[in-house]
Amino acid sequence: MPVTSPPRPAPGAGVAEPPRPGRPRRGGRRATLALTCAVLLVTAASLALGSNHLGLGQVVTGLLHPAEDTGAIVWGSRVPRTVLGLLVGACLGLAGAVMQGQTRNPLADPGIFGVSAGASLAVVVGVYVADLTSVLALLWLAFTGAVLATLLVFGVAALGKGLASPVPLALAGTAVTALLGALTSFLVLTDESTLAAYRVWVVGSLSGRTLEGIWPAVAIACVGAALAAANTRSLDTLALGTELAQGLGESLLRARLVGLGAITLLTAAGVALTGPIGFVGLTAPHLARRLVGSGHARLLPASAAVGAVVLLACDVVGRLIGGQSEVSVGVVLSVLGGVVFVAIVRRGRMAAL
Amino acid sequence: MTAPTFTRRALPALVALALSAPALTACGAMSSGETSSAASGSAASGPWSYTDDTGTTIDLDAQPTRVVAFADQALALLSYGITPVAIFGRTQVKTDPRFADYDLSGVEILGNTYGEIDLEKLAAAAPDIVVTGIYPSDRKGTLDTDGPYYGFSGVSQQKQVEKIAPVAAIEIGGKGIDVVESTTSLALALGADEDEVAEDKKSFEAAAADLRSATEANPGIEVTMMYADADGVYVVKTADEPESQLYSTYGVDYTDLHPKGAYYWDIYSWENAAEMMTGDVILANVEGYQADDLADQPTFADDPALVAGQVYSWNGAAMDYASQATQMTTLAKIISEAKDVV
Repeated sequence: MPVTSPPRPAPGAGVAEPPRPGRPRRGGRRATLALTCAVLLVTAASLALGSNHLGLGQVVTGLLHPAEDTGAIVWGSRVPRTVLGLLVGACLGLAGAVMQGQTRNPLADPGIFGVSAGASLAVVVGVYVADLTSVLALLWLAFTGAVLATLLVFGVAALGKGLASPVPLALAGTAVTALLGALTSFLVLTDESTLAAYRVWVVGSLSGRTLEGIWPAVAIACVGAALAAANTRSLDTLALGTELAQGLGESLLRARLVGLGAITLLTAAGVALTGPIGFVGLTAPHLARRLVGSGHARLLPASAAVGAVVLLACDVVGRLIGGQSEVSVGVVLSVLGGVVFVAIVRRGRMAAL
Repeated sequence: MTAPTFTRRALPALVALALSAPALTACGAMSSGETSSAASGSAASGPWSYTDDTGTTIDLDAQPTRVVAFADQALALLSYGITPVAIFGRTQVKTDPRFADYDLSGVEILGNTYGEIDLEKLAAAAPDIVVTGIYPSDRKGTLDTDGPYYGFSGVSQQKQVEKIAPVAAIEIGGKGIDVVESTTSLALALGADEDEVAEDKKSFEAAAADLRSATEANPGIEVTMMYADADGVYVVKTADEPESQLYSTYGVDYTDLHPKGAYYWDIYSWENAAEMMTGDVILANVEGYQADDLADQPTFADDPALVAGQVYSWNGAAMDYASQATQMTTLAKIISEAKDVV
């Protein structure tokens, strides 16, 4: 995989200064400003716009008076989905950036390591075996499943002494995803009728959710974000290729563990809150890379911001095009995300990883 | 732009909803005492011919005795004393509470999820005929006979089934009474006991009369038949669902805010749920949100029916006389006890 700027290994071996990351494509400050504005704009839009065409004045009244009818709409529907959209979008965007950096695969998304599949299976098992349906219970189930799946993937890859190359990790992830997906299907098909709670969860929608159980998810996401931040240098080094990275004194095991930890926790938090949502983790890092280049110190926060904007913006679009009903965010993401992704690829020069 | 919503979410749910037949309590009472051999009743000799709701005529050398049916139709046939040799279902057949009153010990289960049919087992069951349903694709009752009938994964699977035995389809759409009569006429053609059917019909008519008196005794009760999930509320359009169409002719007042427009139901996002809160009683489809889940939605929490505790889990019943009688008795009781809260 090409690198935007040639590496400049620091003199001498050992734990040295990492090579300069790819140069930002645009002014860093302008990108930061643009992203901040985008986040604020999309937040405002998410509060102001919906399938119930309240006037701006009514929205403000609703915000100030939660007890009134418009208050129920604003506080009961728009505020939760805005918060969830920002949080989950940021988690998935960040996880996607770490994932693509770890695997050096532009098509990697957080699902690759079996995280979503593990979460889904755990939710199904919990609903099926223990009849758990509360939001908090599903959150912990999804989280546990995500962690176990990652451990399984890591174990399989490590067994085959495969940590050096990202390929065994991705292969192990794909295999585990397929296996877990098969088990999930088996359980769901065995007794479809008892799995209403799972079906509600698996839709991957911001609609109809409450903020119940958000604090544990926020805590998990924060730990994940901290791990991602700690992984920044390693990701820059890994971009040079694992051999060079090792030559630079990078501990592959540590780099992989920290990265996987970040991906797992971030994805688990997102998946637990809203069910599996695709495309954000895949596209957000690409958009972010076009804005700030491929140095991870900037790419990671930018991916989080882009993820939040993309997810929430798609949700807002879905609310507006459904008439008195709505189009769920998963559908909008697949359509718009697909178009955007094709555009990125078509413009050639996919920003190098 | 409701099209994407409709096709992606609503249609499967519509199908699920419309198809998930019978209530838990359905069926049993009338027919449980009856013998259940396949060709009980008037096994006529000589050639047999039947034209189903798609206009397809099935000619056989003799009256079919070995019947395979999709679960929803199997329930109706069982109610008329015809035990299929094999059943394929959309959900787990053996644990389906709708079958609780019937002895399925000798019945082969060919599949437990939509589109799953074990063709080898089907062939081994040596059916004379396969019975399933077909759903119209619009309000005019258009039947897409080029597409697969209900219960088949696709046209190719249906063709394979047709190589084993001819397939008869009952139209599940339009007027409810037509669906019941079509189901009954097929059961009679398959040898259902005429006296038993006549008795079931009497109890059906009695239940219909009771339902009418219940609505007259407690006028002003509006019934909302709906399905809800994270995306919002789906309100069934009275004329498009055979059950509500039938019961509305007995005086049941269903929520029907936009009888025209999209087929089968109106969809409201949770933000717009207030628009449809006109019912005194909610019949919540068993596959979606129930009272507790509805109460968790901030924009629905003040729904009058919900506040009054008048939300009931609801499952469509098989389209035979006895199952419909049971269903109407249940609904009559709900309406009699309901308070007019809107």
